[in-house]
Amino acid sequence: MIIRMAKVEIVGPKQDLLSTLDLLHNRGIFQPDPQLTARVALTEDERLQTLVLDENELRERSFFQDLQERIIALLELLPEIDNGISPLQPLPVMTLLDELADQHLVTARDQTNILNECRRNAEALQHDLHFWEALEPLLKELPKSSSLELFGVTIRDSRQLQKLDTLLQERTQGRCYISSATTADGDLVGLIATDRKIAESLRETLTDERVPELSLPEELADLPLPQRITALQDRLKIQLGKCSQFEARLLEMSRRWRPIYRRAFAWLEERLALYRATATAYTTRLCFIIQGWMANDEVNRLIDDLNRAFAGRVVLEQQMILDEDLDQVPVMLRNPGYFAPFEIFSRLLPLPKYSSYDPTPLIGLFFPVLFGMILGDIGYGMILLLLAFFLARHFPSGTLFSNIGKVLGISALYTVVFGVLYGEFFGDLGETWLNLHPVWFDRGKAVVPMIVFSLTVGVAHILLGMTLGALAELRRHQPRKALLKLAMLVAVILAVLALVGWFYPQSWLSTGPLLIGIGILMPVLIAAEGLLAPLELLKTMGNIISYVRIMAIGFCSILLAMVANRLGGMTGDIMVGILVAGILHAFNLLLGVFAPTVHSLRLHYVEFFSKFLDLGGRRFEPWQKPHP
Amino acid sequence: MEEKIWLAFAAALAVGLPSLATAWAQSRIGAAGAGTLAEKPELTGAIIIMVAIPETMVILGFVVAAMILLML
Repeated sequence: MIIRMAKVEIVGPKQDLLSTLDLLHNRGIFQPDPQLTARVALTEDERLQTLVLDENELRERSFFQDLQERIIALLELLPEIDNGISPLQPLPVMTLLDELADQHLVTARDQTNILNECRRNAEALQHDLHFWEALEPLLKELPKSSSLELFGVTIRDSRQLQKLDTLLQERTQGRCYISSATTADGDLVGLIATDRKIAESLRETLTDERVPELSLPEELADLPLPQRITALQDRLKIQLGKCSQFEARLLEMSRRWRPIYRRAFAWLEERLALYRATATAYTTRLCFIIQGWMANDEVNRLIDDLNRAFAGRVVLEQQMILDEDLDQVPVMLRNPGYFAPFEIFSRLLPLPKYSSYDPTPLIGLFFPVLFGMILGDIGYGMILLLLAFFLARHFPSGTLFSNIGKVLGISALYTVVFGVLYGEFFGDLGETWLNLHPVWFDRGKAVVPMIVFSLTVGVAHILLGMTLGALAELRRHQPRKALLKLAMLVAVILAVLALVGWFYPQSWLSTGPLLIGIGILMPVLIAAEGLLAPLELLKTMGNIISYVRIMAIGFCSILLAMVANRLGGMTGDIMVGILVAGILHAFNLLLGVFAPTVHSLRLHYVEFFSKFLDLGGRRFEPWQKPHP
Repeated sequence: MEEKIWLAFAAALAVGLPSLATAWAQSRIGAAGAGTLAEKPELTGAIIIMVAIPETMVILGFVVAAMILLML
């Protein structure tokens, strides 16, 4: 339901403004609304103006902003470790923190740059090492000859290898040998051996074909392969050692300073939030005024808090909510236990206006009933109950899946209830095996009664919606609009009765007077609402007819269940029959969860809510501490 | 016999034509919905409902077809 809000004004001496804002931030129950004060008509000599910070305050704010930016940069450089937040009060040591932040930022930047350089070197060495380790077995296969020139290359894929082999054989007239291997990184590398005399032309070919040749530092290039690999391993070890050394230094720095800087950051953020909040305050020469909104039941507690903190210097006064304020009142929804899980559906809609209704309780009341009417099967209901029980137990309370479990559980209960009324247990299986008979009617055969039942539900639902719409207009102090909505409600009732009289003639139900009644009402409605009034009547009748989907989807569900049972029975084998019927029932159940959910929601959102719900409310967003 | 064939044909038309219309409408809404979801995944629920809105046509067609077959 929509929580009752209070419009409040807080007034106090100017020097208490920041302390008052701090208290309001800490309590987290007040939403300022500078527009309220802006609407108050004041004379020139009352001198109410928006707050302008003095020179000292501006200097202080600029200093805090600058320090916060440096601390953010420092926290980004220091490694993330979970060592909490320091209890230090930053204000008394702010000058020291300012100096330290500069020094630490320089140190952390230097260390991070060196560490990154070390990591890059280690990565390159690791890559070279993998390359030569992969080529080592290939080298052993080659004859030991001083006239051989060797090239190590990286190859894109096996297709490129094939193409390269053909090309090189062609250019060197068969005087070269290429072999390949895969490195530990998964790269394809090749070793090309050729006569030293034609090595230069082969290198040019490799360049033309854009095949990268691995180059080594000069001091390693002349080493034999085993020593080359050992030298690379040694270098890698040294680089990794350096990396660990710098990581440890940064970690130590983070362990020592991160909690303090995190505390300073949180404090600065709160302080700067207070400065931002001053923009919502108005001042006279000596006083400040803040107007805003809060939950009505919190007002007395806040008054007590203000009295305790400021000994009566800062006062809170509750003001009357005017008609012109109604669209501005922020909206807070809070629903008791049973209805709370249904907020997963109302959250799909924009927020209702303060003078409208919270759709959650209405969805909570009607959604499970419509779901049960559509699915209506004892067997399916039992399976859904088990699924709901699992979801509600397995997931923590308040989470999405736990809420889905609760909604599914309630809907499953109604499914069982309507299953008993329709006499359905996995379609007609209950009738065949358990001699189950419908308490109410068999919807697989009684199509017309089911249509009439669905339409009756539609009439009741829509008429309730129209009544709520008229009441909402009364709450908005719009008696004329409320009267017109009631007139439309009467017109719909007359039209429905006329249709009933047409299809099911009764001695007490004469269509003539009913049509005359509509004929009298219609000109009044057209005069008041224009030519759209007859269309509105037709639209409402269309809305009612839309409820026939309760019958249609339910009918499809029972037909599918019957088909599953028949096909299962036709197999002639118990196990195969159970398997076939089980698969089809599982498919039907899946549809049976999805379709009733979507269509029940659609009946609410499109047909029901359009009659009374006024959407587009402002969410209640109270001031809160950035770091609670 | 001939009457039954015409009834079956009428029922098939009653459900077939709205099915085509629904499919066309859902394809347009579905495409727009997929585009919206790429930018605002929080609208998933609302878009599922929107995709279901044109199903009214085929549901009413189905009801008419059922009435043709069962009541005439």
